[in-house]
Amino acid sequence: MNGYEIALALCGIIALYAAVRVVLEKDTMRKLPFLNVVSFAISGSIVLLIPHPLAIVAAAAYFVGSTLESNAIASTYAGGPKDE
Amino acid sequence: MPAEPLHILIAAMVSWANFVTIDVFFKLPEKGGVSGASEIGRHIEEGGGALHGGYMMGNIVSSPDASAGTLLASCGVYAAGIPGGLFAALLVYIGNRICYDPGYAGTTGCITATFIVYGFTLIGFSAAEFIVGMVIAILTIQGISHVHSSRLLATLWRWRQG
Amino acid sequence: MNELLILVFGAMVVLGAIATIISRDLFDKLISLGIIVAGIMPFLADRGLLDVLAATALIAPLSTIFILMAIRRKKDGS
Repeated sequence: MNGYEIALALCGIIALYAAVRVVLEKDTMRKLPFLNVVSFAISGSIVLLIPHPLAIVAAAAYFVGSTLESNAIASTYAGGPKDE
Repeated sequence: MPAEPLHILIAAMVSWANFVTIDVFFKLPEKGGVSGASEIGRHIEEGGGALHGGYMMGNIVSSPDASAGTLLASCGVYAAGIPGGLFAALLVYIGNRICYDPGYAGTTGCITATFIVYGFTLIGFSAAEFIVGMVIAILTIQGISHVHSSRLLATLWRWRQG
Repeated sequence: MNELLILVFGAMVVLGAIATIISRDLFDKLISLGIIVAGIMPFLADRGLLDVLAATALIAPLSTIFILMAIRRKKDGS
């Protein structure tokens, strides 16, 4: 195994570990930091699988989309935006 | 053969130092930027953690900050060298604006991480090691124990204030 | 992509699906759907379908936000 394969395998194992922690955590708000770890590991795996300049755009789109999803879930759970 | 795990460990420590320094410098632990971040901070405090560390973890969850900047800068350097890293900084800024955030922390972290990662590639490191190093660094903050990491971040925030 | 990675990411998709079925709270169900989307992404990247990947990554959070808007309206109306 060279460094590239070790990096990819570590990303996959960390993503699976964080997904298991998301499922085992009881509190809804405390699930979100683990989901953030999942999206970090998946963004890293996308770029490691295809080292192409367009892969940066795809990884950033996935990361920002997943962050926006967490943001919306947390805001709705907290009672919605203040400006209504 | 034992060179790569050592490189990954060093890369994880460098990424950790980079994003924690910039996040604490830009006062992320002071308050929750959006209502969701404050809610996450309160729930972490209920679980036994510290409030200001919880606010910083909530801010990391709900908008791309210096940790996302470090990850995407490593990805950019891995795929396209220094221009890729600066392009990633632009993408992080756009992502910050989408999530109602000023975007100073994310963009600054991305630009500094671009030059740090490029400097380490000159002395024999690979950018792939920095990608997995950043994933390990975020795992130690958000993924092992919320109680201990929030107390650690609150201690760093007390140093920044006093 | 070797066998270990196929196994790991496939296990993430199955785990997310099972968690979506067994969780009661609606927010927990949405978070588990996020795990399913995360597990699908590396398979798209491995085939080189970067345009499909970017489109999926933008459509999935938008559908979540629409569901959340429906929840909030129901909570206000009742």
